[in-house]
Amino acid sequence: MDAQSAESKAKVRNIWKITAYLTIITIVEVIIGLYVSGHMSKFYVNSGFILLTILKAALIVKVFMHLGDEFKNMILTILIPLTLFIWFIIAFLADGAFWLKINHMFGIR
Amino acid sequence: MSSIALEKESSKVVWGGGRSPFNLSYGKIMMWYFLMSDAFTFGAFLISYGTTRFFSALWPDANSVFKSFPFFPDTANLPLMFVSLMTFILIVSSVTMVLAVHAGHCRDKAGVIKWMIWTIIGGIAFLSCQAWEWNHLHHHGAWWGSFLNGADAERLPHFFKHDTAPALLAAEGANAANKFFNFFFTITGFHGAHVASGVVLNIIILLNTINGTYERRGHYEMVEKVGLYWHFVDLVWVFVFTCFYLL
Repeated sequence: MDAQSAESKAKVRNIWKITAYLTIITIVEVIIGLYVSGHMSKFYVNSGFILLTILKAALIVKVFMHLGDEFKNMILTILIPLTLFIWFIIAFLADGAFWLKINHMFGIR
Repeated sequence: MSSIALEKESSKVVWGGGRSPFNLSYGKIMMWYFLMSDAFTFGAFLISYGTTRFFSALWPDANSVFKSFPFFPDTANLPLMFVSLMTFILIVSSVTMVLAVHAGHCRDKAGVIKWMIWTIIGGIAFLSCQAWEWNHLHHHGAWWGSFLNGADAERLPHFFKHDTAPALLAAEGANAANKFFNFFFTITGFHGAHVASGVVLNIIILLNTINGTYERRGHYEMVEKVGLYWHFVDLVWVFVFTCFYLL
């Protein structure tokens, strides 16, 4: 691939487009953090933050790390182990809920 | 050969030996798996942070803890501004890194050198920001194991929402601030160590590029491998930013 070719220029344009997306998402997060957080249900605000974070992560992994260009099998060997996080979050929230209950029961807050 | 064309071949051909079934070099695959395992390390840190926060009756308010900016008086109330700047610096350095990788694909040595230098500058700028923030918080009494046994108690109210009940603050404030800052310094410190080692790796790659090592080798794959690491560091920061500053 030649640096001056149309293919190369299209790729560079795409990189800057993704940069703009990442910047816009971060600005939106900051605006929510400053002006919306505290005026709305915490559940919705936090769900929004987590969705935006995952969107940012996906853009970085797919485009910047070029995982989107790899073989499907390669992508799956990376993504399938990461689904363990779903279990981790469920397990540790359950653990946290148990501790919360015990703390209330014995009056330690 | 395009990857799609290769993928359509029968699995017997692809997995029959003699070539990488993933069409990737050993080094790049190992970098991916290393990063995946590192993701679990950071994930474990952040999940334990989340669990601790979940069962704590009181927790510091991010907009009250992180509200200062360099060169502004200490009384300035600028929540999220400095960390947004840090996030932006790291995103931009990730962009310059991907441009360096792209220049490597084009065998454009001058391009690789230019974008690697910008990436290194971005990394050092990020580390400097973090050093400022750590130093600033340390001046306000925060450190590993701080606020226990009544130390710096007069500073505690600044870390919490203004409408926190005084009785709750007196009972739980020191404990909550101690846990919060232990996690904060451990996780941002571990991330900062990754950034610092990434900067060192970037400098090594830059020197090799200037020396023409990759030009002689015929490919710039080392730039790609270090690029993967650098993007991962940015990726982790995206999650640290959400967990500590937004949620």
